[in-house]
Amino acid sequence: MEKHAYTCPYCSETFDALENLKSHMLQAHKTDPIPRPEGVIRLTVNGEEHSIRVEPEWTLYYVVHDILGLTGVKLFCDRGACGACTVILNGRSVLSCMTLAIECDGMTVETAEGIANKNHPLVENYVKHHCMQCGYCTPGFVVTSKALLDKNPNPSAEEVQQALAGNLCRCGTYPQHTKAVLETAQQLAEQGKEAKK
Amino acid sequence: MSEEIKEMPDNPMERDKYIPEKFNVLGKRGNKRIDGLRKASGKAVYTRDIVLPGMLYMRIYTSPYPNARIKTMDTSRAEALPGVRGVLRYDDPEVYNRRIPTLMGGEEDILAGYAYFQGQPMGAVVVADTEDIADEALQLIEIEWEKRPFYLNPKDALAPDAQLARPEWFPESNLLPLFFQPTNVFAHGDVRKGFEEADRIIEFDGSRNYHGCPDAEMISGITKWEEDCAELWLHQQHVYEHKWMMNQWFGIPMSRVKINAPYNGGMFGGWNWIDYSMVPQYISALMAKRLGKPVKWLLNRRDDFTFGSLDSMQSEFRVGFKNDGNITAVQLKSYFENLSYEPGLHFLENTKIPNIESEMYVAQVNKGPTHAIRCEQLPPSFALILVFNHVAAELEMEPTELALINDGVDGEDINSLNEFKKEHGFPVRDSLKECIEKGKEAIGWDEKYHPPGTKKLPNGKMHGIGFIWDHEWDETRGAGMAAVIIQQDGTVNVIATRSDVGVNAESTYCAVVAEELGIRYEDVLLRQQDDVHLPLMTPDGSCNLTTNSYVMKKAAKKAKRQLLELATSTIHLIERDVPPAFPGLATDELDVENSVVYVKNNPSVNKPVADVVRDVQGSFINKHPYAGTQNTTHTPVYAMAYHRQGRLGKESGRQRLCRQAHFCEVEVDTETGDVEVTRVVNVNDVGKALCPEAVEGQQYGGTYMGVGRNRSEEHIWDPATGVLLNGNLIDYKFSTFLDVGPIDTIIVETGMGLGAYGTVGIGEDVGTDTTYLLHGAIHNAIGKWVDHGPITPDKVLKALNKA
Repeated sequence: MEKHAYTCPYCSETFDALENLKSHMLQAHKTDPIPRPEGVIRLTVNGEEHSIRVEPEWTLYYVVHDILGLTGVKLFCDRGACGACTVILNGRSVLSCMTLAIECDGMTVETAEGIANKNHPLVENYVKHHCMQCGYCTPGFVVTSKALLDKNPNPSAEEVQQALAGNLCRCGTYPQHTKAVLETAQQLAEQGKEAKK
Repeated sequence: MSEEIKEMPDNPMERDKYIPEKFNVLGKRGNKRIDGLRKASGKAVYTRDIVLPGMLYMRIYTSPYPNARIKTMDTSRAEALPGVRGVLRYDDPEVYNRRIPTLMGGEEDILAGYAYFQGQPMGAVVVADTEDIADEALQLIEIEWEKRPFYLNPKDALAPDAQLARPEWFPESNLLPLFFQPTNVFAHGDVRKGFEEADRIIEFDGSRNYHGCPDAEMISGITKWEEDCAELWLHQQHVYEHKWMMNQWFGIPMSRVKINAPYNGGMFGGWNWIDYSMVPQYISALMAKRLGKPVKWLLNRRDDFTFGSLDSMQSEFRVGFKNDGNITAVQLKSYFENLSYEPGLHFLENTKIPNIESEMYVAQVNKGPTHAIRCEQLPPSFALILVFNHVAAELEMEPTELALINDGVDGEDINSLNEFKKEHGFPVRDSLKECIEKGKEAIGWDEKYHPPGTKKLPNGKMHGIGFIWDHEWDETRGAGMAAVIIQQDGTVNVIATRSDVGVNAESTYCAVVAEELGIRYEDVLLRQQDDVHLPLMTPDGSCNLTTNSYVMKKAAKKAKRQLLELATSTIHLIERDVPPAFPGLATDELDVENSVVYVKNNPSVNKPVADVVRDVQGSFINKHPYAGTQNTTHTPVYAMAYHRQGRLGKESGRQRLCRQAHFCEVEVDTETGDVEVTRVVNVNDVGKALCPEAVEGQQYGGTYMGVGRNRSEEHIWDPATGVLLNGNLIDYKFSTFLDVGPIDTIIVETGMGLGAYGTVGIGEDVGTDTTYLLHGAIHNAIGKWVDHGPITPDKVLKALNKA
């Protein structure tokens, strides 16, 4: 098969593959060889890459829930007071209803669905300890708890309560979350010990 | 077996006569929640999540004034906004001056041309391509108003010179007719005589501010038409009733209404009863028909503050009692806002107090409607708890002792209650005494109780300890139906409508079937049947398991009978006979346990349920034991059951047998008025805990809701404009994780509940009574009463003469 020559428009250097040309342009000329249309962002959500055209006023909540169909983010208070829309954005837990999607270009997003799909023990422990009643706020708690354990793998009960103090639960399931998070921390620690053996 | 089914009581005064000696599934810990994974992983679907192809969005105008009438309205700019597909005005002929029936036999204006509270949905609706466009269009509606005087206090509304708060509905007076009771004076015995017999008489007053129920999921609904069939998506507890309402509204047969009941993000009664959750469904149906597309109506967070709890009340108390603790008379006079519930009832239902008189007045005020949020019995709980707090303090008697002295029913002491227990087949146990003993031990009452205002902690705060008691909820009522089917692999489906509000009913229904049918719990699954409908009575409502466990039990027993008949019967086909799994045996010689059918007197002879129900003919082509082809016989085991459990659950003579007790410790900062709840101990006699984890969940959750209501939840209106100031979740404070200290959950199981297996409900008990948990503890801390809820710091400081 005939080889195509790919020529850099800035320095005329040629490449035998398009990917190599792209890498060259990004590294040597700091420019995207195929510029994206205005308003398009790239998001990696639960490990899957997405390219989405967003309006400037769209929130991350809207994109994740309405565009990508991930119902684990919930609209509860609608003004950053309840934690039900929490996602992990580049490793930090944030309120997706208070985050503009257009500012999230190139970032990674983790939702309750992603945490569950990875079989994180937190989810099973949430079920075991009945950390839900109506369940509407539960995914937000799961995400906040996961963010806590990512940063602090061995939290005390008080640290769990402090971490989850920004998540509202109208059904009042709060004490059951402490049990689930502490048991998860213990299990993860044991798994870590096993892995080191 | 048929006799066993027959033995289940139809009379809610009788105890369940069929309670197994040994439970294999029910009451065990670790039965996995069926909804657990889908809720924790975010995959459970709620009405708010649902988007249908071509769906339009409907928003409703809300009044900026608390009492006003539209003089003129111009919607032309809204109609012209790109993306707006339809506008319905209050003066359109389809709706003008029309009211429609709602749940509980009420009715409401479809789209009023007036408002009686600020925030009332009224005037106009906009249907648009997006919610944002609909909101923008609402802003473009121009209205010329006739503003009228408004009242935020019932006593002001009932003043002789008061003008009308809602003239379109009540043109004569602001004094409202009573809803739950026939007269405004409830009396038992003779209070005059009771006061004469008293050694001491005290008077005090107490009140509760209007508070609400912001559900987690802002309420919404969808209507879609296919020719003359309507399909609804509902955030509702009583979904079945919407079939009836569609019939009433549009005259279409109920058989042509399909109901979808996704998970409910909260409810607690609340919106379920409020007409403004039903009227939009009608309007969305109207607009869906007009526009030929599905229409979703949505309320935003501010709209969600439309209604409040019916314990918005002001009461004056007079109580007579003897020095030995016997209360001889309780008299109270109460003023309610928009709706009431008899506050004197629990004195009759839970005590031996012989003389009770309660007088009440309900005023129409310019606030949203009130109804039962978690329970309608908040007012009687409030009254009982305040009276016992005050009498115990006056007598300098331990409150637990005072409770035991006055425990009883209908003016009679505990012996009368014990007679009832004997006559109706219940165990004779002293529920209150058992609850108190366990609770006192758990909280360390004997070491910690002290005279009021006497214990200062090293941190400078005053320590208080409190106790309340009651039996807030005992009703079993209503009717339900469901079906059980055994699939050919031996697994089982419960077929019923699931209108879930989170009390783990779905799993417990399956546990009941597993228990009664002898199937492994993990082999049973509820399949949502939301089309033609098999309604379990008020699914997840006030009487859930107490009524529905009978339904599941009956269905499982019928299915078991069919299973054993199949196991012992020859099936006659044309060319051959298919022998039974257990030839030569009768059904009563077999039983089922752990998904295995076995011979009772020789359990080593057994077969899995799957082998008994498997397709008896098999595949004629491939010789497989199961055939999903035309000649399959399919499973013959399918049973439907119906159970009716009384009428209201409050029939005369039906007594409350179980009790509940709650203890708490507080620390009161006398400089700031802040109250910290450092410990709560809940003791609930639930008769029989079918799912202990779910019972504990109600104890935890009820406490958080109750303490929040007791301490911070209230709607705040601007007295000058009648505008609600805190209709959002930043300024309206309900409990967070940090607002209650450690909570002990103690379950007492006396078997004296009126529901199946001797159960009694708990979902409403804790949240209602703990709404008044802190009054006694704060008095114990500072020696002053704060009886006007919620107990905000300014009220504590006022009690201390510091504000």
